[in-house]
Amino acid sequence: MRWLFSFLALALFCVVNARSFTGSRLLVVLEEESEREKYGVFLGDLESRGFTITTLTPKSESLSLFKHGARAYDHLLLLPTKSKGLGPALTANLLLDFMKKEGNVLLALSAETGTPTAVQSLLLEVDIHIPSDRNALVVDHFNYDSTSAAEKHDVLLLPFPKPARSDVKDYFGGEGVIAVPRAVGQTLGNESPLLAPILKAPSTAYSYNPKDEADIVEEPFAVGQQLNLVSAMQSLNSARLTVLGSAEALQNAWFAEKATLAGKAVKTANRDFAAKLSSWAFKETGVLKVGKLTHYLNEGSSKKLNSSSALPENNPKIYRIKNDVAFQIEVSEYTSTHLTPFELPPNDILQLEFSMLSPFHRLNLSPISQTANSTIFGASFRTPDQHGIFNFAVKYNRPFLTGIEEKRQVTVRHFAHDEWPRSWQISAAWVWIAGIWVTVAGWVVFVGVWLYSAPVGAAVKGGKKTQ
Amino acid sequence: MAATEGDQFLKQATGPKTRGLLRVIILVLIAGAAVSSRLFSVIRFESIIHEFDPWFNFRATKYLVANGFYDFWDWFDDRTWHPLGRVTGGTLYPGLMVTSGVIYHFLRFLTLPVDIRNICVLLAPAFSGLTAFATYLLTNEMVSSPSAGLLAAAFMGITPGYISRSVAGSYDNEAIAIFLLVFTFFLWIKAVKLGSMFWGALTALFYGYMVSAWGGYVFITNLLPLHAFVLICMGRYSPRLYVSYTSWYALGTLASMQIPFVGFLPIRSSEHMSALGVFGLIQLVAFVEFVRAQLPSKQFQTLLRALVVLIFVVAVGGLVLLTVGGVIAPWTGRFYSLWDTGYAKIHIPIIASVSEHQPTAWPAFFFDLNLMIFLFPAGVYMCFRTLTDEQVFIVIYSVLASYFAGVMVRLMLTLTPIVCVAAAMAFSQILDTYLDAKTPKVDAKTAENGSSEPAKVAAAAVLSDGLRSTRNPLVGIYSYASRVTVVGFSAIYLLIFVLHCTWVTSNAYSSPSVVLASRLPDGSQHIIDDYREAYYWLRQNTPENAKIMSWWDYGYQIGGMADRPTLVDNNTWNNTHIATVGKAMSSKEEVSYPIMRQHEVDYVLVVFGGLLGYSGDDINKFLWMVRIAEGIWPEEVKERSFFTPRGEYRVDEGATDTMKNSLMYKMSYYNYNSLFPAGQAQDRVRNVRLPSEGPQLNVIDEAFTSENWIIRIYKVKDLDNFGRDHHSAVSFDKGHKKKRAAKRKGPKVLRVE
Amino acid sequence: MFLRSLLPSILLSGACVVSAASSWSFEDATLSIQSKGSAVGAGAKEKFSPTSPLAKSVSLGTSDSLKLLLTTTDGKKAKRPHQAFLTLTDPTTGVEESFVFGVKESGKAKLDLTQKDLPIQFLTSTKPIPASIVIGSFGASSPYNSKVFDLSITRDQNVPLAVPEKPVRYAAEPEIHHIFRSDPQSPPKIITLVFAAAVVGALPVLLGVWATLGANANHLSKALSNAPISHALFVGSILAMEGIFFMYYTTWNLFQTLPAAGVVGLVAFISGSRALTEVQERRLAGLR
Repeated sequence: MRWLFSFLALALFCVVNARSFTGSRLLVVLEEESEREKYGVFLGDLESRGFTITTLTPKSESLSLFKHGARAYDHLLLLPTKSKGLGPALTANLLLDFMKKEGNVLLALSAETGTPTAVQSLLLEVDIHIPSDRNALVVDHFNYDSTSAAEKHDVLLLPFPKPARSDVKDYFGGEGVIAVPRAVGQTLGNESPLLAPILKAPSTAYSYNPKDEADIVEEPFAVGQQLNLVSAMQSLNSARLTVLGSAEALQNAWFAEKATLAGKAVKTANRDFAAKLSSWAFKETGVLKVGKLTHYLNEGSSKKLNSSSALPENNPKIYRIKNDVAFQIEVSEYTSTHLTPFELPPNDILQLEFSMLSPFHRLNLSPISQTANSTIFGASFRTPDQHGIFNFAVKYNRPFLTGIEEKRQVTVRHFAHDEWPRSWQISAAWVWIAGIWVTVAGWVVFVGVWLYSAPVGAAVKGGKKTQ
Repeated sequence: MAATEGDQFLKQATGPKTRGLLRVIILVLIAGAAVSSRLFSVIRFESIIHEFDPWFNFRATKYLVANGFYDFWDWFDDRTWHPLGRVTGGTLYPGLMVTSGVIYHFLRFLTLPVDIRNICVLLAPAFSGLTAFATYLLTNEMVSSPSAGLLAAAFMGITPGYISRSVAGSYDNEAIAIFLLVFTFFLWIKAVKLGSMFWGALTALFYGYMVSAWGGYVFITNLLPLHAFVLICMGRYSPRLYVSYTSWYALGTLASMQIPFVGFLPIRSSEHMSALGVFGLIQLVAFVEFVRAQLPSKQFQTLLRALVVLIFVVAVGGLVLLTVGGVIAPWTGRFYSLWDTGYAKIHIPIIASVSEHQPTAWPAFFFDLNLMIFLFPAGVYMCFRTLTDEQVFIVIYSVLASYFAGVMVRLMLTLTPIVCVAAAMAFSQILDTYLDAKTPKVDAKTAENGSSEPAKVAAAAVLSDGLRSTRNPLVGIYSYASRVTVVGFSAIYLLIFVLHCTWVTSNAYSSPSVVLASRLPDGSQHIIDDYREAYYWLRQNTPENAKIMSWWDYGYQIGGMADRPTLVDNNTWNNTHIATVGKAMSSKEEVSYPIMRQHEVDYVLVVFGGLLGYSGDDINKFLWMVRIAEGIWPEEVKERSFFTPRGEYRVDEGATDTMKNSLMYKMSYYNYNSLFPAGQAQDRVRNVRLPSEGPQLNVIDEAFTSENWIIRIYKVKDLDNFGRDHHSAVSFDKGHKKKRAAKRKGPKVLRVE
Repeated sequence: MFLRSLLPSILLSGACVVSAASSWSFEDATLSIQSKGSAVGAGAKEKFSPTSPLAKSVSLGTSDSLKLLLTTTDGKKAKRPHQAFLTLTDPTTGVEESFVFGVKESGKAKLDLTQKDLPIQFLTSTKPIPASIVIGSFGASSPYNSKVFDLSITRDQNVPLAVPEKPVRYAAEPEIHHIFRSDPQSPPKIITLVFAAAVVGALPVLLGVWATLGANANHLSKALSNAPISHALFVGSILAMEGIFFMYYTTWNLFQTLPAAGVVGLVAFISGSRALTEVQERRLAGLR
């Protein structure tokens, strides 16, 4: 039960200090201190959610992502700056290092100021592409706000995104329209599974450079749904990089603005979207935590009921081939304030692999029971008839969820000399067993006869005396 | 046990009590000399296990001592052959470990707590003393001269051919197997001579012990039937032969089948078929002899003979058919390579890659056996002169062993005992002839008839004067001058032999190869301890379950000294797995990395001798890795591409791209340039200047390099955190920013979720 | 999916066409497919208009090129728009790709399309791909977006298509269950029993043969009187040895067996030599 308490304590701790799972120190980098006002509501929302915000400009001396080699902040919000470079404290390498140490980054781009080179090369490294022209922006002649951008069509009004796949959890859904003014569109490389689009541009949208392509767009950077307005990269250590194409969307001005979409008056719901986006980006949502992981021999005297959550820690280092084994893993999901039982998206499965070089078993784990803040998934199976060093592996990487990678090494040994069926249990051996005992009997009789037989003629009698 | 038996034998050897006492003293001294000459390595270095295989034996022994016999029997070793593991208990010859274990427990029972390591280190010398004694017994069975046995024992005690495998610390199967080999032969000769079931059973018992100790038991399995077969062919079938052979075969086969590693091989594999065949044949012959005694008709006898031949032919034919049909396992590759030295090179590079399996160079014979190699033919010739049953054995043994010793270096070991015996016979003949101060005629007669050895009498009775070669003509040299000269020279030769043996032992065979010795300019010894330095680094700086990939040569040492799981080791049972490692070593980083990931490799260990001029390094073994990998993946690894167009194997500027890009090359020379002024990097093994630009590593990081750069350990990187390939990740870290891809022709690549 | 969520807005924009003062459209649209090698201008030309899309799907072969000519109009006037796209949408995956018309100042727009221009998803598509024309520009004129034809890709089966490996996407994978080797089989029990009976039956036969040859135990009393202890011990030790074997077979381990066998063996050895001496005496006495 102690682990349960520690869970509770941890959850409590989180509530008091911050609602992010990883920490509350947030660094906001912006052009100058006065800019802060523009984002006042957003930052205020963050503060009310428990973040401690440090605001710095790229030029400030105290700007450093690290202190004594460790992260100085847990999260970084990079708002657009006018300068081309971000200074020595925010190079692409340092930003990657920040993420290597599990820091989360929310990048807000802007078509008006252009993207700093450090950010450009950072994005290039993670296979997110932005237009090479500084001022390229996304327009859509179908879904624009005709109040503020009647002529330029560069303020897009979009509904909240729906998950791109049916087996992905929805963290960004909501009601209303999101205004995306003057966005820098991004495209995602096709190779990386770490990338995921959050908000795609509508089919008719495209990115163009207002300077060179004022009359007609000849070679658009990207078009339609390949163009993303908000995208995310979650690295293998679950550090999150969120790219928001339009920093303006976070400004107070757009948080609840009257707008007109196709002649109809609507109100923007940017505040809701910004909250959802930032809470995902700073790991308030979509964080998985593995609790107890047990596997045990599920046969003979050690056969136990699967449902017991208070099972003693019982993970043997070694099994035999063809043993019945049960496996259980406890998974919780962190949602804003506390750990809750993890529920799989409707079409998704948590899987267990029992593998040596390649998986011998890949089994679907089914939820067995639930505790106050975790779900226990389990499966039972029989170890393969191949000895070796195996791994129980649960690998659960999904878009928008932090990864689960649990590996437990066990040895699967061969049958020991006394674990085979005894010879009399094998019917084919009966002939040989009979042969052995006949030989033994014959030998004993022979010894008797040889020792005590009188010459023929003296007497004739059977030779079974010795027995 | 040996001592009590010895007493018995000594009494049999006749003579006054003083002679017996002298013999005991001499034998003890010989044993002492044998043991002490093997202690060079302990004195010079320390009490340490040598080389490669002994490290496994030592580890297994520790396991046996710690966990008991039954756990040892069922031992599944999950720290070798990762991730396959090894059913160690069922795939080793347990004789050596069990022997050490028994000694260990016996000493503890005597309240002498000796460290198991010291028992293991000193087991080989201890058994060499017993071997000398067994050689004495064997030789005594061969000749009447009592001095021959002592000489043979002395030879056996100090000959380098045997010392090479039995110095202190060389804790290998051969350490006890040679004693068992010689002793089994002695028991066999005794059994054949006496026709005794008791001695036959003893032969079988020690044969069983031998089977449990060394794979070389097959030599006995084939030599004894061959002896019996030759005797039958010579028309020397006798009930004695029948009794001894059948009791040995029946009991010995049963005994050998008790070893899990051997199991049903004695009835399933070709190597054992000769013993089975001769067993069948001897039954036939016995039957025919029996019938012949009952039915004296001449025609019937011919008919019977024809029957025997027919059955024999049918049996051989059936054997061939069964082999073709797959019921009987055909000869293993190792066995083929005994007959055709080129076979292994073509078909099984893994066997050919072992230096012990190379054909013997001629000087090695002289190096290992010295003057005995000249006396050996003389001794064999002397056996031809009398050619009793047991001397036939000597002839067969020497012919076979000579051939095998010529084929494989390590089989020099099986040749050594018979060379000692034969040489001792020849030498004692010389000494007996020339040292005898009495008048020859009388002496010759008394010598002949005075010996009351039953075997001799029996042999004489059997052979009488039938063969001309068995008659001893009474000719000789009687002048004192010539006697003194001959004896004097013989003594000098003996002294030179002793000198040679000591020199060879001290210089060639007493290096543990784990610790290297070199001489400083002032002549003092300098110890190079890179191996242990690196292994202890592994032991202390890596997690307990860190998997180490290295070439298989170092597998046992890593397991023994670093106590870390390895991918492959010196027990080369799985060629594919070794080839996998070979492929990882000889391929590009991008190819190797997935292999290493799949096998969960944490560290890679290479041996590099370039700085020190240590020639046994991995670059010199590299071609074997390539060849073995090519055997499994001929499309992906090609030996040819490691050679320049002119057919040279180069590591300098002119090395091929395949070579330069191979993981092994990169690991060997990574950062090596930094030791030298620019452009001056020098490889002292291959004596070439290296390219001024050193190799770059992307998928592994240097973790450790030993003092003299002999061992280099690399850590395998994790997958890149951001999904990049390692090459671009490394170049990004170095500050090379990725270039935006130029406008591409052709269709766009669309992202699909 | 996302596309579906957009439909209402597209419909809305369609509704705007009616109300707005002007709206983007096109006219004089012709579509032709030209095969490689055939003369320019050959191949069927088909006309369509914004309101009447082509009924049957257009087939594009490996070496064909699709040519699309039209004039964009704003209201009734030919005018160059900012955006003039031909958008293909893969019906199965929803992937879309747009191709840009080359538009002159006069509004004359032209687009050439061959299979080489198509992303791989479209080349492997088995269903006809809907193609729509999107025309839009800044200002108040309402944009145009409507499906105009279906494009079906016909590929030459002999020309292999270099389909790139499917990129990794994190998702659940198919289950794997290890297939066990089948257990070794024993022959039918009846056969086993017959042979076992035959083997057991050999013993009485053997004993019978011995009996007929005159085997007996008549000297037992004599032997016991001559050397009672050694005979009893000898026979007893032989029986005990068989008992030890039986125990080893059933329950004992090696370390229980070996000492017992050693003791019994020693007894057998010592008592045996005495007992056999007695037997030898009888033989020498002609009693055997």
